[in-house]
Amino acid sequence: MASISLSRAQAELASAPLTGSVWLEGWAGSGKTSVGVQRILYLMERGIPAESILLFVPQRSLAQPYIRAMRGQRAHRGGQVYVHTMGSLSLKMVETFWFLVAERAGFRYPRDLPNFLSLEMVQYHMARAIEPIVAERDYFNSVRINRPRLYSQIVDNMNKAAIVGFPIDEIGSRLTSALAGGVEQAHIYGDAQTCALEFRRYCLAHNLLDFSLQLEVFRDHIWATPQARTFLRGRCKHLIVDNVEEDNPASHWLLLDLLETSDSALIIYDRDAGFRRFLGADPTAARRLRERCETKATLEGSLVMGGEVQALSGRLAAQLGPSVARANTADPRPALITEAHRFHPQMLDWVAANVDELVNARGVSPTDIVILAPFLSDALRFSLADGLARRGLPLRSHRPSRALRDEAAARALLTLARLAHPHWGLPPTNFDVVCALTTSIAGLDLTRAQLLAEMLYRNGCLLPFAEVRSSAMQDRVTFELGERYDRLAGWISRYVDGERADAIDIFFRRLFGALLSRAGYGFHADVDAANTAQNLVDSARNFRWSLDYMSRYDDDIDLGLDYVNMVDRGVIANFYARDWISDAEEGLLIAPAYTFLLSNRPVDYQFWLNIGSEGWSRRLYQPLTHPYVLSRGWQAGAVWTDEDERELNRQSLRRLLLALTRRCRKGVYLGYSELSESGYEQRGLLLETIQSLLRRLAQEGQDV
Amino acid sequence: MSLSDDFAFTQGSLADYADCARRFELRYIMRMRYPAFESLDPLQFEARLRQGARFHKLAQQHLLGVPAELLSRSLADDEELARWWANYLAHGLTNLPAQRHSEITLQTQLGGHRLVAKYDLLALEPGGEAVIVDWKTGARVPSQSQLRGRMQTTVYRYVLSRAGAHLYGGASIPPERIRMDYVFVAQAGQRLSLDYSAAQMRADEAFLSEMIAEIEGAHDFPLTDDERRCRFCSYRSLCDRGEPGSLEDFDFDEMEDGDDDVFAVDFDQIAETEF
Ligand code: SF4
Repeated sequence: MASISLSRAQAELASAPLTGSVWLEGWAGSGKTSVGVQRILYLMERGIPAESILLFVPQRSLAQPYIRAMRGQRAHRGGQVYVHTMGSLSLKMVETFWFLVAERAGFRYPRDLPNFLSLEMVQYHMARAIEPIVAERDYFNSVRINRPRLYSQIVDNMNKAAIVGFPIDEIGSRLTSALAGGVEQAHIYGDAQTCALEFRRYCLAHNLLDFSLQLEVFRDHIWATPQARTFLRGRCKHLIVDNVEEDNPASHWLLLDLLETSDSALIIYDRDAGFRRFLGADPTAARRLRERCETKATLEGSLVMGGEVQALSGRLAAQLGPSVARANTADPRPALITEAHRFHPQMLDWVAANVDELVNARGVSPTDIVILAPFLSDALRFSLADGLARRGLPLRSHRPSRALRDEAAARALLTLARLAHPHWGLPPTNFDVVCALTTSIAGLDLTRAQLLAEMLYRNGCLLPFAEVRSSAMQDRVTFELGERYDRLAGWISRYVDGERADAIDIFFRRLFGALLSRAGYGFHADVDAANTAQNLVDSARNFRWSLDYMSRYDDDIDLGLDYVNMVDRGVIANFYARDWISDAEEGLLIAPAYTFLLSNRPVDYQFWLNIGSEGWSRRLYQPLTHPYVLSRGWQAGAVWTDEDERELNRQSLRRLLLALTRRCRKGVYLGYSELSESGYEQRGLLLETIQSLLRRLAQEGQDV
Repeated sequence: MSLSDDFAFTQGSLADYADCARRFELRYIMRMRYPAFESLDPLQFEARLRQGARFHKLAQQHLLGVPAELLSRSLADDEELARWWANYLAHGLTNLPAQRHSEITLQTQLGGHRLVAKYDLLALEPGGEAVIVDWKTGARVPSQSQLRGRMQTTVYRYVLSRAGAHLYGGASIPPERIRMDYVFVAQAGQRLSLDYSAAQMRADEAFLSEMIAEIEGAHDFPLTDDERRCRFCSYRSLCDRGEPGSLEDFDFDEMEDGDDDVFAVDFDQIAETEF
């Protein structure tokens, strides 16, 4: 068997008989995923065809340890294991068996292909479908959040309905019935309901499938066909399911069904977890699978935490709820390092100094340190990166999605597109032109770019370099850079004069190939810039494909203008799922706390920033939806009270603290400043919890 | 040279290396995607690629049990595709063993690396024939010898002989029982079959091993001397290799051979939001 070192209990579970189902639960860090990984390798070694094994996870980052191990099995000969989430699996099934069910499922054009919507295209079509109603009826006028967030909550409601399995026309009534008063809020829920129904009608009329409709078609129609069942059951003779507590009831439904016909199954459940509740995670519903498994196993304890961290973990949890089993009596204080500061920048300096000390004085690898915050603003990321860089410590930051439109290379292309399409009536600002010139022309610094823009950017056009009359100015810019500028300005001017009407992605590609990727320009031989350009092209092409397809049923649309407008509004090129595989695993990581948890990677030291922030315990402001009221376990007729909210905050924080400490070997640094980043006093629940624990420990010390 | 430990060779990456070492380096080592045009008419190029992909999807749907009549009804908007489809139905599945596996990916090990092949269709009979079927939608039918010389032929037959035992009742598939059928659906469903042999398998193994070892040991990845190979390469502006070629000269059949790996495409529709 391949080389993972396992305890005897782990090894026995991994090499369980080739028939039978096993439910495995335990804390994070107890070695469950290692069992899962080894189980797959064992099945393959025992001659089980890899293509009859399904690895099922709630989110693709959680499959990484498996994929890495399978790819490492170079000696393996045979097929490949299928790795899926509910999203990818239902998409594959609907795509394959579409023509069997399209008519029955209510699509207006069942002989045409389905059009699956990426998240950004959902936002775009949502805007098209509901904006007329929202404007006409003055919906959501009291809600102070931007349109993309508003739409995403309507999408969220529809996803919850599909995941839990209730009709989408019950969204409004479910939400309203849980209200403890508030006519205005009831109106908001009613409007959200109308929008969901309108969007669904629009999707059915145009062969569009957002995630909720895709899931419903899969569950209600595809799964009823013998072809689909035969196909999927044949491919799922052996199930490996990890982090089932982070998955949703629709996944649990499918897994319960597949368990009936599979030869073997290993289902792994993380205790005290279920962090993706916003996305429908339902740890309680997941436990239904436990009842169906023949063997129930538990891995006790932690292979990660040192004794002091383990004690800290237990004591923190006990501050907020019931004690965890196997409480550790060690003194947790050595594992808890903190210092109070008045101002936020002082706290960041303290963090940088301590990271420096760990890395440079104590030899801790930067990959064994993580800096966590409830939210990760650009300003916070920048300040930290700056402080660490001054100490020679490079930072890698991870946010689950980041806006493609914020990348310099993408912004430059978008600015140049505006210059090349004056009929859009969207001339870029001077500042955008300066940035675009700096990014596009190799060797052009900010000062010279500013000079060029001041002298030559007029009325939405870039004038030729010859228009610079002052020879002193020409010298400052230099002839060589002036010539490069001229070629770019000339290219755009010829494009405008030629009245070309390239699709927007083709425009980006044309400009990239003809000029920006050539020697002397900013994208030449620059891997990051080229990849960003390609990502922007992909986004714009998906937009075009989705709309090309729509043009069969609908009027014409100015694709380029619509695309750029949607980018500006933060609808398109906003969600840009980054690939964990390609994310270099070197350097110090800074991430939002929950994102770190779902990367499932323990470290030696954690820094928790802004421990006074409410963000550690409070859920996001979501005026159009409610993850608990729309969950499977919600009792009809119950009312969500302020006390429920407070209790939820306590329990969420408790789970979070357990999860973080269980992914920590040696110590936690707490970054605290009285005043927050924006200058306000901070007194969140995490701070209260820590202070109360420290007081209690001090008291115990005196008692002894 | 720095190929990651888990790098998988495919017929596509090996064909790229055989064409131009620099292209291999840019695409697989530096992982640089490059959005310049591949050909003079990018929209037509794209439309043709999508048409080929749609045909492959149709064949897969059919092989998984979606009735042909239902699939035929969906082709009203594309006469050419409907013609390919009719040819497929008439000739695509004749003379094939009964056990069918569509869109299956196999891997074996060679030179310390994984070698992966994704098949349109494998039709086998344990103890009998093992046929690799590959759908081609290109406008030309190459000669037998051109097909024999293709990297796809070399890799697909070799990988099946090494990694197909579990589909063949557990026994290794004797090379003599392997056949590779190219079916040209745009050309009246014409079929060109290539047999295999133990001697050919040994020769293929030596050839592939040598190539992988050469890549492993390479320090330089020079630009190809044959500038005709640059005509449809998107890195032209990086290498200063002239303008794109015209569509009529492009062989789409070389693009249709999908290389697969787990999670090649991410289409999880629930975003990972920031909490
Ligand atoms: S343009 Fe030519 S030399 Fe450059 S990578 Fe492509 S094939 Fe090789």
